[in-house]
Amino acid sequence: MTRSPAFHVFRTAALLLALIFVLIPVLWMVSMAFKPIQEWSATGDLLTWWPRDPTLDNFRYIFGERTSELIVALERTAGRPILASLLSSVVGTAIAMLAGTAAAYGLSRFGSGRNLPLALIQLRLFPPLAVMIPVMVMWAYLDLIDTWWGLSLVYGIVTLPFAFWLMKTYFDDMPREIEEAALVEGCSRFRVLTRVTLPMMRGPLASSALLVFILNWSDYLIALMLTTREWVTIPVYMASLSSSMTGQLYGAKAALGLIAAVPPVILGIAIQKHLVRGLTFGALKQ
Amino acid sequence: MASIEFRGVSKSYGGTQALRDVSFRIEDNEFFCLFGPPLCGKSTILRLILGLEDPDAGEVLIADRPAAGIGPAERDIAMVFQNLALFPHMTARDNVAFPLVERGRPKAEIAAKVADAAEKLHMTHILHKAPGQLSGGERQRVAIARALVRDPVAFLMDDPISALDARLREETRVELKRIQREVGHTLVYVTHDQEEAMSVADRMVILREGRVEQVGTPVEIYDDPSNAYVAGILGAPEINVMPLGRGRTADGLIAVPDAPEGAASIGIRPENLRLTEGDGARITDVEPLGGFTVVTLSAPDGPDLRALLRGQPDLSPGARVGVEDGTARMFFDRDGRRLRMPAAVPA
Repeated sequence: MTRSPAFHVFRTAALLLALIFVLIPVLWMVSMAFKPIQEWSATGDLLTWWPRDPTLDNFRYIFGERTSELIVALERTAGRPILASLLSSVVGTAIAMLAGTAAAYGLSRFGSGRNLPLALIQLRLFPPLAVMIPVMVMWAYLDLIDTWWGLSLVYGIVTLPFAFWLMKTYFDDMPREIEEAALVEGCSRFRVLTRVTLPMMRGPLASSALLVFILNWSDYLIALMLTTREWVTIPVYMASLSSSMTGQLYGAKAALGLIAAVPPVILGIAIQKHLVRGLTFGALKQ
Repeated sequence: MASIEFRGVSKSYGGTQALRDVSFRIEDNEFFCLFGPPLCGKSTILRLILGLEDPDAGEVLIADRPAAGIGPAERDIAMVFQNLALFPHMTARDNVAFPLVERGRPKAEIAAKVADAAEKLHMTHILHKAPGQLSGGERQRVAIARALVRDPVAFLMDDPISALDARLREETRVELKRIQREVGHTLVYVTHDQEEAMSVADRMVILREGRVEQVGTPVEIYDDPSNAYVAGILGAPEINVMPLGRGRTADGLIAVPDAPEGAASIGIRPENLRLTEGDGARITDVEPLGGFTVVTLSAPDGPDLRALLRGQPDLSPGARVGVEDGTARMFFDRDGRRLRMPAAVPA
């Protein structure tokens, strides 16, 4: 199809605009992360895009090193929150993917529990926060407050509907003949799953897991309510980065934000090749 | 190496009746065709043989033993699915080896059998590729090789060569028949192409809306169909079915002095129609096919007729001709049932 030059101009302009909206905050964060305090606490003309005097002080600071500029020592360093975020997000994602995939497969193939999909989506009909107070009370009784496993469990439950619905669409789209061929060629029902279905679903599993991981990784409110000290996660910890003398520690926050962006980006790059290909590429006649 | 028998099998899905009281028997080592229009129940029959479904009523017997309760893996029947259903995450080699691996055969045996099947189907050079890298015809061969590699009691093929172009279809068809003869196994073959069905099948069953219309060899069914539907579904061009009047066809074109009691229509195959001097019909179309010519005729108040003539007769549209038929006539009653002539008493 040939398109008019005006279309190309318009499309480029729209893309640029979208890119500006998306990228400017990110780039600003990157820039801030490498600025010394005089630069990130400045206003007016002193704010520049490029750090005039780039430094790693912000990173040193959040990991507990004293720097000449930020004399206030942090009560806690970033190490533990990073561990907390990693543990709770990874385990939460594992719970959601395991339960969600199993439920989606069962429902897609054997059709029992017809109300399950709706019941699961109901988990997302209201903001998770609406049930967080009862959950807090329960978790307090169970001694799960301020533990990584208590947080993981809630993450698993809250993101389960996403894992379920994504995987169910993929299972529904898989031609039934492929599994039937495996049955006819000598597989048991369970072996079909491990030999054919799950290996075929590597891409969908990876991309769903990435989405669920990002949801867990970026949570603030649930962690704020369910953790207090030992196992606060990166977002909660980030909110606490301020001091009575300098106010919000923007440089430290930017440095932490940059660190927090690393795992999703690495995972995204790692599964990229799975996202490109269709599910049944080559399985069928044409 | 097994016979397959259906005894009064019915099956419905939800509200749709897919099979109604279906009975037929496939003999050991037979090339057996299931033939009928889409949704006539062909695929359901295959699924019942495979054990992917259970009949609602009736019985499926494999090697004269009831198959109920035996799972698909234990039935030991190989299948080529209509959409091929290859495993996209494995190479062609692993696809072909799959049935043997799942049955825990030793590695050396698997390698030898895969090589052998690949040889038979001329696909050794594509074994290392993934299905996604193969052409339609190559995928087809992978699917057939996956079925051939083990030694099942029967092969089922659901319209396996429909994706191929005409020439390749014909080659593959001949090849399949050769392989079946060589391997000597029962082969159940589904097709919706009447020419294909007639050319490959030892015997065939004609299905319509989940019912068996007729079972027999292709020639038996062609020459002696049990009703107008079966007569119409085999043969190209299609059989001419003309309503009957008094002593002639309703359009007055052909004299029919010997119609049996209750006959409502007469069926004449295109190759049995002859053109004569006369002016009862008008030629509307002439299609030369080389060795044969198909002539379409229209009569004043009757259906269009098609005649299959040998060679390339000098005819042109618009000309008026008479029509006469040979001896092979079929009579049908009002519901399309075949009326048989009383056997002629030898003089």
